[in-house]
Amino acid sequence: MNNSPPNQNPSATTHPGPMAHSYDGICTYDNPIPRWWKWLFILTVLFSPFYLLYYHVGAPNRSVHERFTAALDANQKKKYLELGPLTPDSNTLVTYMGKKEWMDVGRSIYKLNCVSCHGPEGGGVIGPNLCDENYKHIKKIEDIAKVINEGVAGGAMPAWATRIPDKNDIVMVSAYVASLRGTSPANAKGPDGSPISAWPEDLEPGSTQD
Amino acid sequence: MSHNAISDAASSQQAFDGRETDSSSVPSSRLNPTEANPTEANLVERYSYDDDIVRWFVFATIFWGLVATSMGVLVAVLLVSPELAGNFRSEFAAVLSFARLRPLHTNAAIFAFAGNGIFAAIYYSTQRLCKARMWSDALSRLHFWGWQGIIVAAAWTLPLGITQSKEYAELEWPIDIAIAIVWLLFFGTNFMMTLIHRRERHMYVALWFYIASIVTVTILHGFNNLVVPVGLGKSYPIYAGVQDALMQWWYGHNLVAFFLTMPFLGLMYYFLPKAADRPVFSYKLSIIHFWSLVFICIWAGPHHLHYTALPQWASTLGMLFGLMLWMPSWAGMINGLLTLRGAWHKVAADPVLKFFVVGIAFYGMSSFEGSMLSIKSVNALSHYTDWTIAHVHTAALGWNGFMTFGMIYWLLPRLYQTKLYSTKLAEWHFWIGTIAILLYIIPIHIAGITQGMMWRELTPKGDLANTFMDTVPVMIPFWWTRVFAGVLYVLGIVLLAYNALRTWMSRPRTYDVPVYSTPRLSPGYLEPVQDTSPLSGVPVLDLATKIDRFNRMNWHRTWEHLPLKFTLMTTLAVVVASALELVPMFLIRSNIPTINTVKPYTPLEIAGRDIYVSEGCYNCHSQMIRPMVAEKLMYGEYSKPGESVYDHPFQWGSRRIGPDLARIGITQQSGYWHWKHFESPSSVTRGSVMPSFRHLLEEKLNFAQIEPRVAANKYLHPEYPYDVSKSEELAKEQAEKVAAEIISLGGPVDYNGHLIEDSTAIALIAYLKRLGTDLFKTQDPKAPAEPPATPVAGIQ
Repeated sequence: MNNSPPNQNPSATTHPGPMAHSYDGICTYDNPIPRWWKWLFILTVLFSPFYLLYYHVGAPNRSVHERFTAALDANQKKKYLELGPLTPDSNTLVTYMGKKEWMDVGRSIYKLNCVSCHGPEGGGVIGPNLCDENYKHIKKIEDIAKVINEGVAGGAMPAWATRIPDKNDIVMVSAYVASLRGTSPANAKGPDGSPISAWPEDLEPGSTQD
Repeated sequence: MSHNAISDAASSQQAFDGRETDSSSVPSSRLNPTEANPTEANLVERYSYDDDIVRWFVFATIFWGLVATSMGVLVAVLLVSPELAGNFRSEFAAVLSFARLRPLHTNAAIFAFAGNGIFAAIYYSTQRLCKARMWSDALSRLHFWGWQGIIVAAAWTLPLGITQSKEYAELEWPIDIAIAIVWLLFFGTNFMMTLIHRRERHMYVALWFYIASIVTVTILHGFNNLVVPVGLGKSYPIYAGVQDALMQWWYGHNLVAFFLTMPFLGLMYYFLPKAADRPVFSYKLSIIHFWSLVFICIWAGPHHLHYTALPQWASTLGMLFGLMLWMPSWAGMINGLLTLRGAWHKVAADPVLKFFVVGIAFYGMSSFEGSMLSIKSVNALSHYTDWTIAHVHTAALGWNGFMTFGMIYWLLPRLYQTKLYSTKLAEWHFWIGTIAILLYIIPIHIAGITQGMMWRELTPKGDLANTFMDTVPVMIPFWWTRVFAGVLYVLGIVLLAYNALRTWMSRPRTYDVPVYSTPRLSPGYLEPVQDTSPLSGVPVLDLATKIDRFNRMNWHRTWEHLPLKFTLMTTLAVVVASALELVPMFLIRSNIPTINTVKPYTPLEIAGRDIYVSEGCYNCHSQMIRPMVAEKLMYGEYSKPGESVYDHPFQWGSRRIGPDLARIGITQQSGYWHWKHFESPSSVTRGSVMPSFRHLLEEKLNFAQIEPRVAANKYLHPEYPYDVSKSEELAKEQAEKVAAEIISLGGPVDYNGHLIEDSTAIALIAYLKRLGTDLFKTQDPKAPAEPPATPVAGIQ
């Protein structure tokens, strides 16, 4: 440790030495506040009223919620702009089953909403296996959309119409679920329900699945 | 002056701390006529310092430092291998869960490690800065043992699930009362009385920070912990939802400011110039930054709640004041680092200064980062991610940890009146600690930003690119790195503990207690007028001379010898700023637009919610969906202020280790799914890091406990619609229904020797099935509720 008298007359500064007083040997210089510090501080303070005025005087489309609504609208429109409203009938489902880009959309919706009960690949967890030939509440392909929309088994399979408000989303996820039939994921659950006949053929020729 | 007569006793002490014993309270050159009065000057008093209390606090700091950081490593391990606890019987597994132990880690780090550290600093420096022994040795000891008792109580109750669930205010009301007593009555009184009985005319800047800390922590603690108790281990905050959230983060933010920053700045202002043997850089800067911190900090809390159901005006205040905090925070760093001008060669040789320099650098980084994170658009990305965790650890490990270690290494030889056992070990501690911090904060920053980006990533068609579960495996390698970094940091503290132990072992048989003598402060002191303005005598406006004088801070110099006035002004700054922000939230109805369909919880749901709180679910799950496209897609309609009006306490959360649960009642309506998921989360959700909550299935719910809890809710909400005296019946009825649904879907009829309708889990499932559903209910067939997609009005 340094035994020299502490804090004595450091003359290395342009300002008069430390102030006369010392506390338990600690002195303080009377150095001015650094100019850059002062101006940055003033800037952060001055910024505030302008920010407040910009966002909080009631000008339209600046609040968080308005901007959110606009962004959500834009996002929703962007997705199905070219399609227009679809109905989940047999033809539509079969058609979109064969379109890879739309099955990617279907998969996104599936992953978001269905995985926790039906498993990431549709093999079934709490809910039934969607990949085999057996179905509990489905006889025809359009029943898939009906089950998703309205739910079955006393809410064990909930009604998704409120949660997935866009009808086209229901079409895409129904088609995606239909397309899972015949795949064989690992750790799949055993069959549930009874076998049903195959989905109808795609009327639009030339499209390939996946 | 003759008050130095007993310096022989002090001579050996001088070698240890280089204290000059002849620094009189008032240099003769500045004595005013009153002071020079010979009868007054003759009132020389003899006193010695109480260093025993400092030795105890230093020991406690090291001990709790080891505990707090080891707990950190344990929860970090539990996070990456949740199945670890599954090897134990379920009673132990219940305790050995991330959600129950994480609050223990944070509370231990803040109140036990940093708390004891600042007490050591305050007790050592205050006595010397006041030239007075602590006012009451008895209060010092009551403070010490009271505080350790509180820590032990925390370590006992938190793992058992006894918690208020408000972050860093988790401790239940009996412990809160103990904290108030120990903090204010023991510590605060002792400190203030020491100030009043000081023999040094002016209060040094370190003392200002201590005053601000004592006053503000008392206010924060008091108002955030107002509760309606239900028995010893359970209470409901008097605030609900939005208001509870605002109070909590007013508290949370300012606890960081007034418990983890202010006292540490005080520590820096004392120990850094002592260790470096250099004058402090700027007196003016210390005044400006003290008062700007005190006034601005208190507003900034709402920036912890950006994009939540908090009204936008509050959020904006939080952001703007957060930004304004940047420079006042940095002023502390500037004053610290520039104090080392001309002493940088010492830094290379002295581990104490190394700790201080790196500690201050981390303070500069984390306070800058804090201001940036308070900007809404940055916070939109960082909130709920590990970015926050990385930010707080930059400050906790770097600033609080390193300042404390630096102080302890400086104190050890002085307290134990011998040489430090090994400077080399201290150097090792410094380097290991620095590497540990970098190894922690860099990966966890990357983890946080990565997860935030993945959550918001959309496909070209506007769908979510990732599900929540897609982002979890990405985190795992970063989380393992954190375990390694944590072990390194603990290792550093082990070196400190060993070094302290060996230093203690070579202490003298009896400590030298030097006796000092200083004249008593004379009453009626007037601050000498410093009319050295270059403008005096110059023909300028009076105003100009006045401004010049103001800029010379002589007015502040006057405050510095008036501790009561100083304390009053500090209190005023804090109270006024708090009131301006908090009061409107409670008085203006449009802040929380009511939603007609949102109804109170049923008795069983109240019981379930209490389990949710007690298990610490909020540590990993938020209940607050922000108005953002990606969140809407992932979780559903964003959360409205009116939805949490019955939530005592609010459960919005601050980190999404698991997904948001605000709309879980809509997205997962199957009770059976929840049942299976509690039993074994990873068998239901592949890759889940949630531990098993099998004990909730095995334990029977105490139905008799429900009635007093429902009564408390009725007390808070007189419109509560259920009959309190029938709580138990109602709860059993609902439990039967929930259980029947689970059984109908293939669940078991009984579990662990009892019907599942008696399981604790049933109440929790009832609560989860309710969560987020009220918004979409229709009030009655004639008057449908507002369509969910339109934002609730009244938010501007």
